[in-house]
Amino acid sequence: MIDVTTYIRPGSLEEALDVLASGEFTPLAGGTDLIPHARGRGPRKMLDLSGLSLDRVTRTASSIEVGACATHSELCRDAVVTKALPLLSKAAALVGTKQVRNRGTLGGNVVNASPCADTVPALLNHDAVAVLVSKDARRKVPVEAFITGPYATCIGPNELLTSIVCEPLEKPTFVSFLKLGRRQAVNISRMSLAVCLMMDGKGSIKGARVSAGAVFPVARRMREVERLLAGESPSKRLFAEAGALAAQLMVKESGVRWSTPYKRPVLAALLERALAEAASGNFGEQ
Amino acid sequence: MKLKFTVNRRATTLEVTGAERVIDLLRERLGLVGTKEGCGKGECGACTVLLDGSPVCSCLLLSSQVAGREITTIEGLSEGESLHPVQAAFAETGAVQCGFCTPGLVLSSAALLADIPAPSREQMKRALAGNLCRCTGYQKIFEAVELASRNMRREKRRRR
Repeated sequence: MIDVTTYIRPGSLEEALDVLASGEFTPLAGGTDLIPHARGRGPRKMLDLSGLSLDRVTRTASSIEVGACATHSELCRDAVVTKALPLLSKAAALVGTKQVRNRGTLGGNVVNASPCADTVPALLNHDAVAVLVSKDARRKVPVEAFITGPYATCIGPNELLTSIVCEPLEKPTFVSFLKLGRRQAVNISRMSLAVCLMMDGKGSIKGARVSAGAVFPVARRMREVERLLAGESPSKRLFAEAGALAAQLMVKESGVRWSTPYKRPVLAALLERALAEAASGNFGEQ
Repeated sequence: MKLKFTVNRRATTLEVTGAERVIDLLRERLGLVGTKEGCGKGECGACTVLLDGSPVCSCLLLSSQVAGREITTIEGLSEGESLHPVQAAFAETGAVQCGFCTPGLVLSSAALLADIPAPSREQMKRALAGNLCRCTGYQKIFEAVELASRNMRREKRRRR
């Protein structure tokens, strides 16, 4: 049993925002994080989002808007997402179990803000922006700024995350997404990396995007690594340097922890591998 | 609130608060005790039911979230006295030991075969990763899914 005292399932966004305006309700999407939490000292007043149709994927001329309640399974099979946002699709496919992917949502993964959330590094590489709506206001916050710490975001108690707007990458871009865990499935990430290499016509890296999950207290772009890669030709040596730099950054920011002797060489090797996989075009050109 | 949904092909209406877990509705209110509660946290898959044909954990699902939708539990898989091919295959290969995980595993396997009629071992492992079994070591479960797959495809060819 769970201890929920008040439970509301509104049929429209307006109604939902009216309820949220009291600042007392916790929005419920797929429940894969929230319901286990509700068994303990979790939220007692819930606002069920399942009646709001917030699960749509919409393509505009310059961006793709993914509804906050789109499930991980929907991100795996949606034609627009798999084609234009392949990193997000791959990240979603690696989340939890079939049962969890069928219920857990993109918005929930982002708002829960676990440092090892699988979709976040993918979103960062797509310059994703969170759309936050309240009764009286609407604002857009880049996902990178939205997540402020482990399990912490800047969302207000009266705000609802309704969608996430992603920018497709310019062509040609080569991408890869790697997740490291203790086993193949049902995995909590020990590290995840999203890599995009934007190539110029002559085979050099015009620009790069590299994001890491479960490496820093908050998932983030590694702009230091991106700068190292920009303007260079892909090579084993360059990728090894990038890996070494990433490992240095991790130790500098996350400090030396019990896992550091393991994570330092593994992060270096994983980034080297992710860059090589992207450069080989095996994951797919966008 | 009045909850209207379909359980095992039967239209059902219940008076609910909306915040009950679906597993409690199924077991306590509808007497469908084939659905088991293991961890209660969405990790073990013992409580798996099919929501509009897709496996989900009924311990993470609240009653109001299934309004207007269709739930299939292990009790609804067989047609009358005749077992679903997945159930028959589990029995035949001995993929059942203590039985606690079996309803969930059977439902996840049935959903997999509805989606992919002839899955590879890798596809099976991925599809069943959310159902923990602490007895069998999974070998016989994979054999059961393979047997069910063969039988279902043969049946389909025969009907053509």
